[in-house]
Amino acid sequence: MRFTALLPEAMQMYSEKIRDLLEREGIDTGDTVEFEKGKIKITGKLMPNTEANGEDILVIKLANGYNVGVSFSGSRLKLVKKGESNFDFPKAATAQDPRLPKVSLIYTGGTIGSKIDYKTGGVYMLLKPEELLYEIPELSKIARISVTKLFSMSSEDMSYKEWQAIAERVASEINSGARGVVVTIGTDTMHYASAALSFMLQDLNAPVVLTGSQRSSDRGSSDAFMNIICAATIAATSDIAEVGICMHDSSSDSRCSFIRGTKARKMHTSRRDAFRAINDKPIAYVDANGNISYNNDYKRVIPDQRKAVSAVTGYSGKVAIVKAYPDADPSILKFYEGKDYDGIIIEGTGLGHVPVAPSSKEMSWLPWIKSAVDKGVIVGITSQCIYGRVNRSVYRNLRLISSAGAVYCEDMTAETAYVKLSWLLKNYGKEKAREMLPNNLRGEITSRTRFETFMV
Amino acid sequence: MQEAKTQANQKAPGEKDDSFFEGIGFKCGLEVHQRLLTQEKLFCGCSAGQEPDSELYTIERYQRAVAGELGSLDRAALFEELKKKKFVYHLFDRKTCLVDIDEEPPREMNAVALSIAISVASALNMHILDELEPMRKEVVDGSNPTAFQRTTVVGIDGFLDVGRSRIDIPMLSLEEESSGIRASTDSEISYDTDRVGIPLVEIDTGPTIKSPREAKAVALYIGTLLRLTMRVQRGIGTIRQDVNVSVRGGARIEIKGLQDLDNMDKFVENEVSRQLALIEISKELVRRKAAVDEDIMDVSGIFKSTKAKILSQSPGSAIIAVGLRGFKGMLGKEVNPGRRLGTEISDYAKMGGVKGLIHGDENLAGYGISDSEIAELERRLSISEKDSFMLIAARHETAYKSMAVAVERARQAIKGIPEETRAAINDGKFQTKFIRPLPGGARMYPETDARPVRITGKILEAAKASAPSVEREMQGLESELESRELARQLLMSPRLSVYKAVTAETKADKEFVANFLIQKLTELRRSGVNIDSVSEGQIADIFALYASHGLTKNGVEEVFKLFASGKTGTASELAEKNGLKRISGERLKRLVAEAYAGSKRSESELIKEIMSRYRLVVDGQEVRDAISEHSKSLHRGAS
Repeated sequence: MRFTALLPEAMQMYSEKIRDLLEREGIDTGDTVEFEKGKIKITGKLMPNTEANGEDILVIKLANGYNVGVSFSGSRLKLVKKGESNFDFPKAATAQDPRLPKVSLIYTGGTIGSKIDYKTGGVYMLLKPEELLYEIPELSKIARISVTKLFSMSSEDMSYKEWQAIAERVASEINSGARGVVVTIGTDTMHYASAALSFMLQDLNAPVVLTGSQRSSDRGSSDAFMNIICAATIAATSDIAEVGICMHDSSSDSRCSFIRGTKARKMHTSRRDAFRAINDKPIAYVDANGNISYNNDYKRVIPDQRKAVSAVTGYSGKVAIVKAYPDADPSILKFYEGKDYDGIIIEGTGLGHVPVAPSSKEMSWLPWIKSAVDKGVIVGITSQCIYGRVNRSVYRNLRLISSAGAVYCEDMTAETAYVKLSWLLKNYGKEKAREMLPNNLRGEITSRTRFETFMV
Repeated sequence: MQEAKTQANQKAPGEKDDSFFEGIGFKCGLEVHQRLLTQEKLFCGCSAGQEPDSELYTIERYQRAVAGELGSLDRAALFEELKKKKFVYHLFDRKTCLVDIDEEPPREMNAVALSIAISVASALNMHILDELEPMRKEVVDGSNPTAFQRTTVVGIDGFLDVGRSRIDIPMLSLEEESSGIRASTDSEISYDTDRVGIPLVEIDTGPTIKSPREAKAVALYIGTLLRLTMRVQRGIGTIRQDVNVSVRGGARIEIKGLQDLDNMDKFVENEVSRQLALIEISKELVRRKAAVDEDIMDVSGIFKSTKAKILSQSPGSAIIAVGLRGFKGMLGKEVNPGRRLGTEISDYAKMGGVKGLIHGDENLAGYGISDSEIAELERRLSISEKDSFMLIAARHETAYKSMAVAVERARQAIKGIPEETRAAINDGKFQTKFIRPLPGGARMYPETDARPVRITGKILEAAKASAPSVEREMQGLESELESRELARQLLMSPRLSVYKAVTAETKADKEFVANFLIQKLTELRRSGVNIDSVSEGQIADIFALYASHGLTKNGVEEVFKLFASGKTGTASELAEKNGLKRISGERLKRLVAEAYAGSKRSESELIKEIMSRYRLVVDGQEVRDAISEHSKSLHRGAS
C-alpha cells in the first residue's frame, strides 16, 4: 500500500458543463470564487477535482482551510479573484558545508516525494537541494548533497530499464567523486531494484543506499525524514562498499536498518518497518543522530582502490517467476517455453517442492520441468516459505526435480534469484548462468544459515 | 423552554451588563466538541467504547511541520516543532490498530457517526453539503500519531435560537478524537492511543455571542441538544468547549481546556480584562516610542562568580540579555490578578525550552543577583531609567531559541495583542496561559487516503428523521413535572438520560426522581460526595428498589452515598447489609404497637420518636398513618 496522493489531473475530472462554465467565466482552479445556490453562498478557492469526486461536484476551499463539495446543478459561480502563485521555498539555510563529504541523491519517484500541487494539478516533488534541505535541515549537517531527478515513477511501474539507468547514474556519480549515493525509490519493488543494483555495480567501492517511505512526506509523521537522514548518514560516513536498503527498523522512529540489497524483502503492505533481512542480519543499524552500529560482515571500502566502479547492466527480459501451489497447472511452464523464455524461477513449497506424483498424473510438474530444461531454459527453485534454504536431496521428490535439471537456489529469495538469473543470462550466457546461479556473488547466498536470521 | 431562553439575558447583581460588552466590541464564539456513541472508531474497526482496555506495547515517534495544501507552513505547526519532542504512544488491545498509529490507511468513514453528525446538523438548521471532503488538520503536538486529525465538514450556514438571540452556526464537522495525554516532560510526551480516532462532532458558532453569560447559555443549549440525540458519549472529557474571545483593538484568543461550563463566563470575563489591560500597555508603549533591541547580548561574563543560583553556569550554557527601550515598569503591569506582561512573555520563552526568564521589573536581589552585577548588566545593555531588559540563562541553543520567541512576544506587546491559543489554568482563578499561536487555514490538507462521501437523499432523510429537538423534549418534561424550573434544569443536565431510563422502567415518582437527580445530587456534590463515581446502572437499581418499597426516600440517598464511596453489590444487598431496608406494612405496624405499649405520650411525640430512631428506614407518611390507625384501634378497644 502506498500512501500517495490521488493525482488530480487539473480540470479533466470535471463534467463538460462545468468545464465550459469555467472557461466562459475565465475561472481556473486556485482562483477565489463565489458559489451561489438558493440561500447558500460560499466564497473560497476553487480546487481541482480528483477521480474520487463526483463529476458534478465543485470542491471549494473555505477561508479556514476546509474543503467542501457542492453539486453544481442549479448554481451560479462567479470569479472573485485570480489565484496567486505557489509558495517558494526560502533560499536561506541552503549553504552547504564544504568540509562535509559529498553525497549524491538520485530521485526516482515513489511515495517519498509526493505531494499535491493544486496550481499545476501535478504532484509536487523534492527536486532542488534547497527544497530538500528546507524540509530536512538535518541533511546539511551530514553531507554536501547534490540532488538529481532521474525520473518520477511509482516503483510498480519500473522495469529493468529504469534499474539500468539508475546503475549507470550511480556509477557516474561515484566515479566523479561522490563518497556515497542515496537513491530514493518507491518501496513496492525496492528489493528487486536493490538486488539489480547489487549485481550491476561491479567493483563497487562506496555505499549505495536505497531508501523510500511508506508514508508520504506531506504528513508530519512520515517515515521519509528519518529514512533519508539515516540513508545519508550511511552514504556519508560508513565504510560499507555494498548496495543496501535503509528503512525503519521498527514502528518507532528510533533507528533504521541497513539491509544487504540481495537479502531484503518488503514484508508488510503498509508498516514503516516493512523491509526485513531474509536469511541474513542487517549489515548495520543507524539512527538520526549519526550513530551507526555494525551488525554483520560486509564488504568494506578500500581506501586507495584505483579501479572505477562500472555498471554492468545487461539484463534479460525473458525470465519469469512461477508459483507452485496445490492444483497448480504445470503447463504454465510450457507457456513460457513457448514464448522463448530463457529462465524460470519457481517458488516451490517447503524445501523447494513442486507436485511430482499427484493423483492426477497430468498435474505432475516433473515432465514439464524436464522439457523446459531440455529446451535450454534455466529453471531455478526457491521457496515460498521465504525464510530458510531449499534442499535438493532430503526427499525423493526433491531429487527427482533436481535430476530433471532444476537448479536449487540455496537461501536466495525468489525475487533476488529472479533478478540474478536475468542479469547472469545477459552478461554471461546460459552455460555460465546455470553454473553461477547457486553460487554467491553479492551476498545473496550465505554459506550457513544462522539461527538469528529468522523473523528479525 | 422559556426559562432557558430568558436565562441568557438575566444578570446577577454586580455583573457587567450586555451594554458594557457591546461598548468594548466584545466578540465571542464557541467550538463545542462532542464524542459520539458508536461501536467503532471513525476510520477503523477498533472499539470506540468507554470500557477499560489493557495496554500492550509502546512506540516512539517524532513529528515535524510540513507544508499545507497551499504550500505555506502553518505558524502554529512550526512553533510546536520548535520544541522537537519525542512522542511515546501506548498501544491497547481492543482500541489500537495500525490505522491509529499511522501504519495502515484508513477504512471507510463510519456510517453511524456520519448519520449522527447529519442529524445534529439538521437540528442546527444547517445546509448539508452534497459531497463531504475528508481533510487533514495538521497537529504536531503529538496528540495524533498521524500528525494530523481527520476532519470533514458536514454542514454549513446553520443557526440556533437561544433566548432572544439568533446564534449563527457556520460549520459542523465530523472529526477524529486525539490521543489522551498521559505524561509530559521537557523532552518527551506520552499519549494513550485508545481514544484516538473516536468520532466527534465539532460545532462552531459565529462570533456573535454578546456576553460571557450568553456564551455559557449557548454552550449549555448545544450540550443539551447533543445529549438529546442519545447517541453521544457521556462522562468526563466526552464534551469540550473552546471559546474564542476578542475585544475591539484586541485579538482572537482561543481558550481550551475548560473543564466545566459553570465557570465559562468567568474565564471569558478574565480574558476580556486581560485584553483590555494589554491594549492599555500597548498604548503606553507606543506613547513612549518603546522598542525591543535587535541584538541579543551574551552577558555570561558578568555573572562568572554570581551568588544567584538561577544564573549558575556550566559548560555549554549561556546567559543572554536583550534591552527593552521604554519598557520600564510595563513588564510588571498586571493583566490578570497575579499575572503580568512579564508572565505572558515568560510563557512564550518557555516554549523554547527554558523554565522562565528574568526581567528588569522584578526584584532581582530576590534571586541573589548583586547590585554590582545589575549595574554592570545595565551598563552593557545601556539601560536608562526608562528601559528594562530580559535575561535568560540556559543551555546555549535553548537560551537563544527561547530568547528569540520572547523578543517576538515583547515586540507584539507594542503592537497590541497576538492571536493565541490559551489553556485554562484550573486553579480556581479562572485564568489562562499561552500554549501556542492560533493556527491558521494553512494547516489543512486533503486526506487523500479517504474518499469523498456523497450524501444521498436517503442518508439525509434518515438522519433528519432522528434529529433531536430541545423544544420538543422540554414540552415532554413540562407535562411530567410540576415545576417548570425543575424541568428546565433536568433538560440541561447530563442526568436527563438516567431520568428517562428510571421513569420508563419503574413507577418511581417522577417529581422525586427529578428532584433527587438535580437538587439532591448537586447538594451531595457540594458536601464532597463523589457523585460521578456512581454509574447510571447503579442509580437505576436504587430507584427500582425504591419503587418496589424496598427503600425510603432517605434510604435512596444513603444507598447512593454507599455506591459513591465505592461499595459494590446491588442496591438491595447494600440496603440489607447496612440496615437500610425499608420497614413497612405489618413490620411497621408491629413497631408502632411496641412503641405504644405502656406509653402515655401523644401521637405527635410518638411520631417524632419513631422518626428519629428509624429516620432512614421508615416513610413519614406511613408512620403517621400507622400511628393514627393504631390509636384509633386503641380507642375502639377502650370504648
